[in-house]
This record gives sequence, structure tokens and C-alpha cells, in this order.
Amino acid sequence: MILEMNNIQKQFDGLEVLKDISFGVDSGEVVSIIGPSGSGKSTLLRCATFLETIDGGEIKYMGKAAAHTNAQGKAEYVTAKELRQFRSYYGLVFQQFNLFPHYSILKNLIDAPIRVQKRSREEAMDTAMDLLRKMGIDSKADAYPFQLSGGQQQRVAIARALAMKPEILFFDEPTSALDPELTGEVLKVIKQLAEEKMTMVVVTHEMAFAKAVSNRVIFMDGGVIVEQGDPHDVFDNPQEERTKRFLSVFDR
Amino acid sequence: MSITTMLVTMSDGMLKTFGIFFLTLLGALPLGMVVALLKKSRFLVVRGIVGIYISVVRGTPLMLQLLAWYFGPYYLFGWEIGGWRYPAIIVGFVLNYAAYFAEIYRGGIESIPVGQYEAAEVLGYSHTQTFMRIILPQVIKRIMPAITNEIITLVKDTSLAFTLAYQEVFSIAKQIAASQTSFMPFVIAGVFYFVANYLVEFVMKRIEKSMDYYK
Repeated sequence: MILEMNNIQKQFDGLEVLKDISFGVDSGEVVSIIGPSGSGKSTLLRCATFLETIDGGEIKYMGKAAAHTNAQGKAEYVTAKELRQFRSYYGLVFQQFNLFPHYSILKNLIDAPIRVQKRSREEAMDTAMDLLRKMGIDSKADAYPFQLSGGQQQRVAIARALAMKPEILFFDEPTSALDPELTGEVLKVIKQLAEEKMTMVVVTHEMAFAKAVSNRVIFMDGGVIVEQGDPHDVFDNPQEERTKRFLSVFDR
Repeated sequence: MSITTMLVTMSDGMLKTFGIFFLTLLGALPLGMVVALLKKSRFLVVRGIVGIYISVVRGTPLMLQLLAWYFGPYYLFGWEIGGWRYPAIIVGFVLNYAAYFAEIYRGGIESIPVGQYEAAEVLGYSHTQTFMRIILPQVIKRIMPAITNEIITLVKDTSLAFTLAYQEVFSIAKQIAASQTSFMPFVIAGVFYFVANYLVEFVMKRIEKSMDYYK
């Protein structure tokens, strides 16, 4: 297991957003998380990446606990220094890309590997250029983020995350901020990564994509996992009433 | 008295004006950043003290603050204030301008989208790296126009040092004007301030342009 989240609980001002959620991701798996707005799927991703702190439960990467519920029943994280080690296991692609606007595309990709992971400049450059070529944007290496289309920016953001050589890559609605005609180029890249057996968790509203690319689909609503399984089972033959209602909204 | 003589007499004051100007920037630009960061401190007491400092400095005339810094030590503690004139002026200016700069910095820091912090955090940057490498460069670009405004105001505010009878350009202009019953010294002073600010504008525009490569 690359990631294990057990009995995760999270409240915002007394409102329970995650109610005792458990799930794990195996190496090479592609997991899609779907569900209506406010179902807690993005919060789950933000908890997995330590952008939000859990109130209770356990988060494990590579079998090592980053957070667990202590004897007092409160979630306890490892030290800040150890957390930085855990951060090297995963990458996150944001809905809003969040590229660094003052850095060139190339510098966006090499700065963290050099400054955080202390890799050599040459190695970081090689990795970065390989990734940019793979994403079809190597001609933009010296450009700045504002000069790129949304689809190109998101591909750079994916490359930036991959440049850290993570074990697992998270996507938080990677195409929601894009024009419909630009979503395709980003989904194509994710699909390509799936074929290369990159471990990924994708929070998405793209049902056709989730069905085509993932090994497993998780449907969340009201802070719980309502249903999960093989995408064909979940999409074509949902067992839960709530799942049926949600999926009926989408044109299948 | 000829204009040339006036200019020569005033040139020493011009140097002193530049002295106040540069020392104030040298002290207030970095100190303002410290104040801005303290204003965002986790500790309520620190935030409170910094808040009061900014309110007092912004809420009272700089002229009054200069008088307080100069005469305060004598009236409060009975200290001898000989030789304290110039330090009092610099302390007064630096603390005054640091408060204004701090508020500009704070506005700039708060205008950076939270996504920038989150992206840096996920990539494993430390807090210091995040601030120095990711946040600060973007803040500097955003606050440049506001900083230019403050610096231009500072050039003109240096004339307030005349309150403490410091011989900067405006004090000397007043003295010559009185003794020669001429308005010419004020014209010279006016041109001096204008040219100085023209230079400030020129330099600041260059700096702004150097950061034009991104949006």
C-alpha cells in the first residue's frame, strides 16, 4: 500500500465533513473519487496531502504513519521535519494550477528538486526537459506561466509534481478551471500516466474519463464513501440509491 | 546675494537632506518588513503592541514625533540631549516610515493567493524558502507603485527636520530668504525637491520595468 487512510474524521466549525472514512491505494492503481459538491472529496485529498489536519484517524504512506489518533482520542502528527519527508512521497495537482508566476516554466520544474531535494542542477534539468517533452510543451521551457493557455499551464503543473519523483500523484479537479476544449489535452496526459502505471488519485467531475482511466471509483456523499468498486460496476450497475440519483444527472 | 552664492550656501543643506533620505530608507525598508511580519505574529500581545505603534505613528504628525524624539529624553528622564539632534531625526523618520512601509508590505503579502503557499508547501519548501523564494518576489512587484509613492513623500518630508533646527536645505532656504528678503531660496529649494523626485520616479520606473517579464 502506498497510501492508507483509516477512520479519517474532519470537522469544520462543528460541521462533520469526513465521517470515519477509510481507503487505501496500491502501487499502480488509479482511483477516481466522484461525488456532488460538498461531499468531502476535495477535503479528503487535502487531508491526504496535509493541507488540512485531520481530527481523528490514521494516515500512512509506504506503511509509515504520518498521523494517528493518540490515547486522548486526538489526531497527532509526526514532527514538521518528518512531515517534509512524507511530502516527498506524493505530488498534488491543483484545480487552479498554482504555478509560480515569477519563474519560467523550466524553473518551475527544477527549483524544488534543487532547493528541497538537493539534486544537482544537471539532473534536475534533464528530468525537467524529459517531462516537458512528454507533455508536449518543451518549446515553452523559457516562457512564463502567463504566456501559456490553461491547458498548457495544467500540464506544466503535472510536470512540476512529477519532477519530484513522487510515489503517488493526487489531482484535485484538474480540469474544472479549463475551457471544455482544453480539458482533453490534460486528460490525455493523465491517461498516458495511467498507462505507465503511475499511482494516482483523481478527484473529478469527468465521468467518462473516470470510467475509462481508473481501476477503481469511489463515490462520496455527505462525508462518507457511499459506494466503490470497478468503474464499470459503479457506473453501469450502481447498487446504492444515492449513487443512481447522482449518476442519472450525467448524460451517459 | 547672487543665485550662485545662494546655491553654494544651500548645497551643504542638500547633502544633509540626502543624508536623512538615504538613512531613512536604509532603516525603514527592512524594519517595515519586520514590523509587517510581527503584525502577523501568532501572539496576540505582539500583534497588539505592533498595532498600537502603527496607529500612533500614523495618527500623529511627523513633526510632533520629531519633537518628541528630540526633547522626550530630557523631559522624561532629565537626560542631556546635546548631540542627540541628528539621531533623534533619523529615529523619528525611520520609525515613522517603517510603519507606513509595514502596512504596504502587509497588504502585498495578503494579496498573494493562498494557492501559492499551498503549492510551495506540497513541494516541500520550508517556511523560510516559501517566503523568500516564492512569496516575497511577487510581493515586491505588487507593492512597487505604493512604495514609490511613499519614497516621493519622504523626499518632501525631509524638510520637517527644520523643526529641530537641523540645517537641511529647507532650513537654510528659510534663513537666506529672511536675511536677504528674497523668495529665490524657496524657488531653488522647490526645484531641488522636484529634481530629486524626478530621479526617484525614474529609478523606480526602471525597477518596475525590470519586473515586467511576468504577470
